[in-house]
Amino acid sequence: MAGKHSNWLYRKLSSMRVSVYLVGVLSLLYSIGTIFPQGADMKEYTNAGGRFLGAVRFFNLLDVFNTPWFLIPASILFLNTLVCAYDRFLGLRARKKAFPGTFIPQMEIPLPLGKTEAEGAVSDILQKNLGFKRPKSGPPPSWTVVEKGLSYRWLTWLYHAGIAVCFAGFMLSGLFVREGVITLEPGRPEPVISASPEKTGWLVRKDHPPPPFEIVLDEFVTEYAESPGLEYPKDKLSRLAVWLGWKELSYKMGEEPLIAKDWFSKLRVIKNNRTEYEKTIEVNSPLKFEGYTFYQEAYEQTLKLKVRGEPGIIEAKTGERVEIPSMGAKLEFGTLRNGTVLRLAGASGRIKPFVSVDRVVQTPEGTDGKEPYGKLEAGGSITINGHELVLTGFKEASVLSYRYDPGVPVIWIAGSFVLVVMALRCFGAWYLLAYSIEERDGRMRLSLSIKTKGLYAEPQRIMRGLTRGLRALS
Amino acid sequence: MSQELILSRDAYLLTMDLRLFFLVASAYGFSSIVFILYIITRTPGVGRAGKALMSGGVVLHVGLLAFRTFEGGRAPFQSLYESLSWFACSTSLTYLVVSRRFRETYPPALFVTLLAAGASFYALLARSPAISPLSPPLQSRWFEWHVILAFLSYAVIAVSCAIEGTYLIVNPFLKRGRAELFGLTASNTDDFRKTAYNLVLFGFPLLTFALFSGAAWANEAWGRYWSWDPKETWSLITWSVFTMYLHSMSIKSWRGNTSSWLNIAGFVCMMMTFLGVNWLAKLLGIPGLHLYAV
Ligand code: HEM
Repeated sequence: MAGKHSNWLYRKLSSMRVSVYLVGVLSLLYSIGTIFPQGADMKEYTNAGGRFLGAVRFFNLLDVFNTPWFLIPASILFLNTLVCAYDRFLGLRARKKAFPGTFIPQMEIPLPLGKTEAEGAVSDILQKNLGFKRPKSGPPPSWTVVEKGLSYRWLTWLYHAGIAVCFAGFMLSGLFVREGVITLEPGRPEPVISASPEKTGWLVRKDHPPPPFEIVLDEFVTEYAESPGLEYPKDKLSRLAVWLGWKELSYKMGEEPLIAKDWFSKLRVIKNNRTEYEKTIEVNSPLKFEGYTFYQEAYEQTLKLKVRGEPGIIEAKTGERVEIPSMGAKLEFGTLRNGTVLRLAGASGRIKPFVSVDRVVQTPEGTDGKEPYGKLEAGGSITINGHELVLTGFKEASVLSYRYDPGVPVIWIAGSFVLVVMALRCFGAWYLLAYSIEERDGRMRLSLSIKTKGLYAEPQRIMRGLTRGLRALS
Repeated sequence: MSQELILSRDAYLLTMDLRLFFLVASAYGFSSIVFILYIITRTPGVGRAGKALMSGGVVLHVGLLAFRTFEGGRAPFQSLYESLSWFACSTSLTYLVVSRRFRETYPPALFVTLLAAGASFYALLARSPAISPLSPPLQSRWFEWHVILAFLSYAVIAVSCAIEGTYLIVNPFLKRGRAELFGLTASNTDDFRKTAYNLVLFGFPLLTFALFSGAAWANEAWGRYWSWDPKETWSLITWSVFTMYLHSMSIKSWRGNTSSWLNIAGFVCMMMTFLGVNWLAKLLGIPGLHLYAV
């Protein structure tokens, strides 16, 4: 146990005070991470009017969770938890020593029996009526100690050990994680090679090979719902008028009352030229295969446009601005609405694909602004400056993020374990009852001391049960 | 049913919902005024009146949440308007349940009703009550349980803070020889404070579950169980401060005021998680840049 160890370091690392200080230091660092924009570039931060530049640069405050200021105390807390768990384990094994030889009585009950009978009766009531465990055998001390419920010391120890395993899981993530983004066009198998630089753990080689399988997208579908807009007054007085009954609320169907309910990608995993696995993924339901998980992250839409009477097809991505010189216009296309829709009145059906068109115009300040121009349906056209623009087709690609993280299952299992055990410790009930039966002033007396842990524990219940049992005897 | 009929029915239900909520918020507001009167006059009858008004508000509020569940066809805490309402209701309800142990001590109720009235009026004034379809990432069982339990733990933590704060204010007077203040005496004050500890003991596993389910949800929806975004980070800070509090209650020399202040700090951090995640950055004039993924 810590007290008996002469080693200073061991004593510090097994100390609960040290753990409180460390958790405090880490909390301060966490809060710094919420103040400074993490992941931002120093130049960007400076241009946006960032402050405390010297400190930000010196302590690397824009990436504080990857600095030694954070990693060192976090690692010491991990060590602290490990050493604590080891130290308390030694203590728990030698547990009998933890009971004091004598207790301060909290209650005294006179007994109308002789010593041996009284001892038998009390032990019977405690074990048979109240469910206490049999006392551990050993040299009979003047106080007998009995327990009931799951040992809170073991529970506390177990969930601390679980927390240490979670820490190990975080480390596994930090060392071996790989994550990136792939873009899939329907029908074209793609290897798992990130479109942007892959984010990798500290021990992952930069030239690691991609996994031995490919992913193919069979179909990408967006599901929409028709959603009316609420006419809720902006100013506080009008709101008050609604609350007081002077004004009513109303809903209005806008021009384009569609909101995306979900995105679906029908995927297949191909390995050795065979389909090994199929799944239609959506947000919150990724595909998992050989340690990799693929998530529905976003989509890309490319429109195929044609100016009537002109040769060639113009490709334009939605959300980006395109200059069409032959029309003398700069345009921006909104999200292409394509997929299924659930109407407010319950019917569902397919949307005739369409896209909203904005025209880029010069604002009085001389910058680019945009104004809504119209709606362009698939196969339909829109006239701008006397020229007709036709939407001849479109392509939709699904953007998936992927992640390989061996830490996740470890954290998942250890975290669930911690939760269950912690709940047992906090909500359950554990009793430690110490009693001694002695003759004083010519009468047998039962002295009791009771200690409890857990919210469900109620010492009065035990006391009541014991007095009732003893009364029945007499 | 035709579209017009659906729209007018929904507008009618929502108007009723708003008016009921206004009534509930006013009940909390008035009861806090009554509790202030109680603190000034220290008349138990005034305290009882405040509690009766507060109880009326809570009963109405529970009804309102049931009504909104029917109206929206889903659990009523998925927008900030809804979660503020849920927070106000669960905190007041928790207080009413817990306060049966110290019937004549009303100061914690002042804190709780101020909080409930503040949350309710903020929701009414600053947030839209519309019930709109959930965005795809929010359509998750993990998210639902995450919110239910997080807010339950918030309620418990807020009440614990109300009790701890009362203890911190009253205890010095009792130590200086005052026999009784607000129904607290030297012999019952430790029990009173133990309620604050028990509440945290109840709330801590819930808070842990909230952290865990939040990570599980992020892992399913975005493919990363942790991304150090400010809300996530503040919930970790809150959890850490309560870890410190629970540990400090096992260290003899810290069990007094040190742990009381840690409990109160835990509540402040919880409010930061709930509402004011970027408030510190704003106060220091630090630009946000909306770039939090590390
Ligand atoms: C991140 C790390 C930790 C977390 C989240 C944590 C969490 C907790 C919680 C919630 C409790 C209170 C519940 C109870 O009383 O059983 C507790 C108790 C305790 N912790 Fe920790 N702990 C951590 C690290 C440590 C470390 C490093 C030590 C080493 C000294 C430690 C030693 C203890 C002990 C001995 C108790 C029991 C106190 C008692 O007997 O009432 N903990 N811990």
